[in-house]
Amino acid sequence: MIRIVGVLGIALLLSAACVALEPSSARAPEQTSVTFLISGDPADEEAYRTLVEHFMAEVPEIRVELLNIPGQGDFRRRLTADFAAGTPPDIFLINYRRYGPFAARDAIAPIDAFLAQSDVLRREDFYPQALAAFTWRGELMCMPQNMSSPVIYYNKDLFDAAGLPYPTNDWRWDDFVNVAQMLTRDLNGDGEIDQYGFGVEAALVRAAPFIWMNGGEIVDDPAAPTALALAEPASREALAWFVSLQNAHRVVPDAVAEAAESSLSRFLNGRLAMLMESRRVVPEFRRIEAFDWDVAPLPQGKEQASILHSDAFCIAAASPYREAAWRFVEFANTRVGQTILARSGRTIPSRIDLAQDPAFLDAQARPHNSRIFLDAIPTLRAFPALATWADIEGAVDAELKQAFYGQIALDDAIAAATMRSAEFFSRQE
Amino acid sequence: MQRRKTPQRASGAATAVKPMQALSAPFGSTALQRIVRLWRRKRIGRLLRHVLAWSVAALYAAPLLWLLVASLQPVGQPPPRTLAWFPQGVAWSNYLEIFRVAPLGRQIGNSLLVSVAGALITLLTASWAGFAMSRLPASSRRWLVGLALLLMLIPSSAVWLPRYVLFSGMGLLDSYAALVAPALLGTRSLLALMYYWSFHRISCEIYDSASLDGAGVWALWRRIALPLARPTTLAVAVLAFTHYWSDFVDPLLFLKSTQRFTIAVGLRMLQQMDATNWPLLMAAVVVMVAPVLVLYLLLQIILDKDASLHLRSSRLWRDAPIHLQLSAGSRTKEERR
Amino acid sequence: MAAPFVFGALLLVVLPAFLSFALAFVQYDALSPPTWRGIENFAVIFRREVFWIALRNTLVFAFSAAPLQALGALMIALLLHPERRGVRVHRAAVYLTSVLPDVAYALIWLWLLNPLYGPINLTLAWLGLPTPAWLVDPRTALASLVIVAAVRVGEGMLLLIAARRTAPDSIYDAAQIDGADRLRTFWHITLPWLAPWLLLLLIRDLVMAIHSSLTPVILMTGGGPGYATTLLPFLMYEEAFTHLRLGEAAAMMVVVFALIGPPIGLAGWLTRRWWREDAA
Repeated sequence: MIRIVGVLGIALLLSAACVALEPSSARAPEQTSVTFLISGDPADEEAYRTLVEHFMAEVPEIRVELLNIPGQGDFRRRLTADFAAGTPPDIFLINYRRYGPFAARDAIAPIDAFLAQSDVLRREDFYPQALAAFTWRGELMCMPQNMSSPVIYYNKDLFDAAGLPYPTNDWRWDDFVNVAQMLTRDLNGDGEIDQYGFGVEAALVRAAPFIWMNGGEIVDDPAAPTALALAEPASREALAWFVSLQNAHRVVPDAVAEAAESSLSRFLNGRLAMLMESRRVVPEFRRIEAFDWDVAPLPQGKEQASILHSDAFCIAAASPYREAAWRFVEFANTRVGQTILARSGRTIPSRIDLAQDPAFLDAQARPHNSRIFLDAIPTLRAFPALATWADIEGAVDAELKQAFYGQIALDDAIAAATMRSAEFFSRQE
Repeated sequence: MQRRKTPQRASGAATAVKPMQALSAPFGSTALQRIVRLWRRKRIGRLLRHVLAWSVAALYAAPLLWLLVASLQPVGQPPPRTLAWFPQGVAWSNYLEIFRVAPLGRQIGNSLLVSVAGALITLLTASWAGFAMSRLPASSRRWLVGLALLLMLIPSSAVWLPRYVLFSGMGLLDSYAALVAPALLGTRSLLALMYYWSFHRISCEIYDSASLDGAGVWALWRRIALPLARPTTLAVAVLAFTHYWSDFVDPLLFLKSTQRFTIAVGLRMLQQMDATNWPLLMAAVVVMVAPVLVLYLLLQIILDKDASLHLRSSRLWRDAPIHLQLSAGSRTKEERR
Repeated sequence: MAAPFVFGALLLVVLPAFLSFALAFVQYDALSPPTWRGIENFAVIFRREVFWIALRNTLVFAFSAAPLQALGALMIALLLHPERRGVRVHRAAVYLTSVLPDVAYALIWLWLLNPLYGPINLTLAWLGLPTPAWLVDPRTALASLVIVAAVRVGEGMLLLIAARRTAPDSIYDAAQIDGADRLRTFWHITLPWLAPWLLLLLIRDLVMAIHSSLTPVILMTGGGPGYATTLLPFLMYEEAFTHLRLGEAAAMMVVVFALIGPPIGLAGWLTRRWWREDAA
């Protein structure tokens, strides 16, 4: 019996060693292999896999290995660990709110030079807002792949059932609250709400557009921020309106209901009328058959404003295959490349010429009102570019969440967030 | 087996009983005393114990039952708000669905490979280390045992990053070798110590006579020590297998390709995709938990039958709990015979 | 024969642990080379309010989970120690909870504690009792984690059953002759006999509670609501792997070591004292 154990052990050791060697041995000698890390659900992964396959058919000498880590937190930890070990992915797709720490440490290879030499890509092809978001101390660090902003996804069937007209493109905060209240219902009369009017994540990234719409600011000086400005009257007023949706109007699931079943899941199952989300949910929503849905712009305040969402392809400075990596990034941002991703519904192209293209504005595919994503573009604003922005956002979210669910007072939340984020404004890494 | 302390303690305890009786007298025949008297009547006491024991067991088994029930609720409707079993019907299809949503099949295969490899290598290294500890002269033994105890105290979180750098330097990232690497030191030093404690009980004379017959160290380990420590081997194998099967942080950090992910990471990915899709999440949990439960139950059955070898004494931090329980159970059986 | 073990221990644990310790005194972001920082890392974390919240949470968590765990283990061990029909099943039921993979265990409890649909609240509602929001409410979130950790008494139970068995029957016979009832027998014989084991079990649980809190926090609460369940290991993990502040994370690790060092030292000292005579 012992001998068997021994032999098996050695065999397994060898097989483990073989597994370790497998990727390098499977590669053809003349091929360059680059890794490409993303974070998304299966629908996202599918879209990027199609892109990678098209690229490899076009450029056979470069092999792209697609890696997906679902969950933004896990994704960032993996990226950190990879950089720490000196084995970063050659290419990674990251949000502009999250690339600061890597840019500040010169871990990303700037792409100005690549772009200048490119025959197929021109800087003017891309939306300046997206380019600006990925410009770090005057250098373009990453190639923006998409740009969007949060919108209100709404369930048409629930509006019909309540006899309400669909939202218009110029509805205002008060209209929105009224509609949400009429759509929040206890259907079976047991005293429990079965259908909520609105669902939103209690986070700064969702509250920010309303602060700006109200003429408020998030930080004292957007160009050179030194502190949060959430206690300013205009900002505070907008935040008070935002948290009142839950803790006063009760049109949003409370903490208990949200933990029991997420707003996203409620919307998918037809039990939540309106959901504030970015473009990323579209591939999943296109699979909905039980009801019809569309998108509406955010309700308007005093000024027009919304927040930029944008992801970009970054190339690791430590990558030995930066040229090959650029060829993939270049391909992905050509008309062909961006069309592939736009068709999945996942993204709104960062190319100006593609935004009007049927691949994105497809009248057949939901959402029919996709044009509102384009209409919002001139009003988009971005969070400040700081290496420690993730810390600041984390400090605000922890407090905002509690204020939103009525666990602490809003003013206490603002005070705590301002105090806890202070050190991250002063320490620039 | 008898301890030197025993007689002294026993008499101390016996004398201490009397003042206690005197103390409780002023209370007279209070309700408390009546209960105590009732308690003394063995039959009621025994019945009560029996009921209590079954309710504790039921309480501990309930979560697993609920898990099973939750995994069979249909997806898409709000979960039931009553304690009814299956108000919306039984959805066996959930178990097919999770294999469609996530590559669970492949992940289970990966986990099996890692866990079996890890367990086998652990059996070798842990028993070698344990054997060395039991045979070395006192000074080197103390050093080794001390090292093993020290290892138990270092939290795994302290070594993630340096290990990551190390593995990437050795080109082991994204390979199962990185996951199985802890098997080199017996997975957990407790497992090496378990071998040490069971080898330690083998009397020197057996080794001596074998040595006279010309057996070398390896032969002693293989022909004498290991066969005598069969229950330990089984326990170590199960503990090591479970360790690799359950391991969550290592694969999260060291593996890159999704095709190589293990079931623990797969579960986390499923949670990340839709945190409140309870039926599917719970179905995946059932799939992950089932092999572990089956293994432990099997181990218990095997060791129950194998009453010929067991511990003679049990000391804290010297005997692995599972080993203890199983052998403790079999010992009483044997003693009754 | 111990070569692989020693080699593995040095390479995979001792050396990395020293590196981690050294990190506490440098500024290191894993991307650029480390620079010497002295004790500044400690000054930085001590100035941070969240660190103190996490420290307090960690202490509250460990010092409530571990005693509860030991107490539960004791009660169940005494209940289940006599060999009777069915006792094997009872022990298995209790023990199996302790062998479930951490990830699965955390997810199961996430479901059990679900405030609306979870079986625990459904049962409480059926009994007409109040239904807390458990992990969702900042006032009960940490307590929920304590419960989740404290019901895992399998290993402690087995240890104490084994320990109880080592008590010779003669002392119980003597007590019976003296007419001691069960309560007194427990108080004056069983408990003193088990005391050393109990103490060691308690210390072990204390250390384990701190070490093994990371997975449940990651999977069940993410440190929230607010910072209610932010424990030091989780904060450390976030600092190092999300915010690239490895030096400060290492400084927190040193604090954790300082916390669990004394109990471990005490445990070692007690073990040696109590079992010196029959340690070979």
